[in-house]
Amino acid sequence: MASPTVTASLNAATYAPGAQMLLTINYGDPDTKTLTVTVVVTDAQGNSSAPAKVSAVIDPLTITVTDDSRRTWTRVSDNGAVAVYRAVA
Amino acid sequence: MPRVTVTVRDSTGQTATAVANYTLVPPVLGGYYLSGNADPTADMSGGNFRSLTQYRSFADGNIFPGYNRPWLVTLGRSGVQVNMVLELKHYGAGDAGPQTFTVDGVSYTVPAPAMTIQQRPGTVWPKAYGYSQVIAGQCDGLFARALSQYRTMGFGVNIQLASELDTDHEFGTTEAGKAYTWAESDVRAVQAMTYIVNWFRVKALPQNTTFSVGVGGFDRPSFQRTHPESLMSRLDFLQWNVYATSPSHTALDRFRRTKDWAVADLGPVALSRPILVAEWGVRVAEIPDQAAWIATVPPAIARLNAERGPYFARTNYFNSGWGTLSPKATGLAALRAAYARPPYV
Repeated sequence: MASPTVTASLNAATYAPGAQMLLTINYGDPDTKTLTVTVVVTDAQGNSSAPAKVSAVIDPLTITVTDDSRRTWTRVSDNGAVAVYRAVA
Repeated sequence: MPRVTVTVRDSTGQTATAVANYTLVPPVLGGYYLSGNADPTADMSGGNFRSLTQYRSFADGNIFPGYNRPWLVTLGRSGVQVNMVLELKHYGAGDAGPQTFTVDGVSYTVPAPAMTIQQRPGTVWPKAYGYSQVIAGQCDGLFARALSQYRTMGFGVNIQLASELDTDHEFGTTEAGKAYTWAESDVRAVQAMTYIVNWFRVKALPQNTTFSVGVGGFDRPSFQRTHPESLMSRLDFLQWNVYATSPSHTALDRFRRTKDWAVADLGPVALSRPILVAEWGVRVAEIPDQAAWIATVPPAIARLNAERGPYFARTNYFNSGWGTLSPKATGLAALRAAYARPPYV
């Protein structure tokens, strides 16, 4: 099993009170695979259905965001590789 | 420095961690000045006013707290951050001759002010103690008198030397019959300001004493001349004043102007200092809806403080002269509302 990777960057170094803070997280794991399962049902006469496909992510990563000044970070978006979180300064 | 930590974890418990540090600018102190150095207590009461500007002449025998101004002690002891503008300028009232007085048992004689400043054509030029007089040590008694009174206050203040050096020098200065250009006056002032700050800094000062040098901030070359790193290393704040005097003036543009010059022209020591706006105001003649303009100040300051460069730490509204609030109640309500919002809270 490979180790996951992550980077975190803020949209500014300094924030004024009340300002919106955005945190961009890039993450991944070589073990994370998208597996596609295709299902076809066939009856006794040999008639088959059209194939139905379903995807499953194997070993997805979970993200935890903590802030030592107890600021609450809320997820804005997450596409599986890039996640954006938001907080108020 | 606050830190946000991001951890990703897979199903087997393997993790990776990344951190990002950030800085939070403290809330900006919303402040005030009331015309004539008058008691602002009633105007400030109940509002988030945490900063105050006062003006005194070194020529005055009553600098701290000032003649008949016990309320300044009350405000300072209650936590209001006081910016005391101490000027070499003689305000014109009383005797402008030499003074002899005793401070803590030591007798001092200080000569009459030998300089003229604010030499606008067609006006009476105010007198001021001259930069050469300061550097020659002839004004030490004035500083000793101010310090002795300051030590009785019970709290630290920011001592802002000069109100606006650029306004003082704009039309040149004259000391002891010799005329100096604007640029020459700036250079001389830097030497005198350095002398005064150094004079105070080697004395025992009340806790939280800070220093700045005042400028209007309306002239870029002068701003650069008056902010050498050698002087800024002795000061705690950058300082300038901000006025809206045209319908086209926005809060963002007006507060930004001098900051942009600072970022472009000044050195790292100067840029490490926060900004103290001793005066800001909206002139009602050109901007009748003062309240609407005032309401745009908090987001402007928040935005500027989120950008690189020095941050605005205190902004004191100048309810006098160009900034006179008219009608007062409406303007004051707008000021209270502004100071109740971020970045003032």
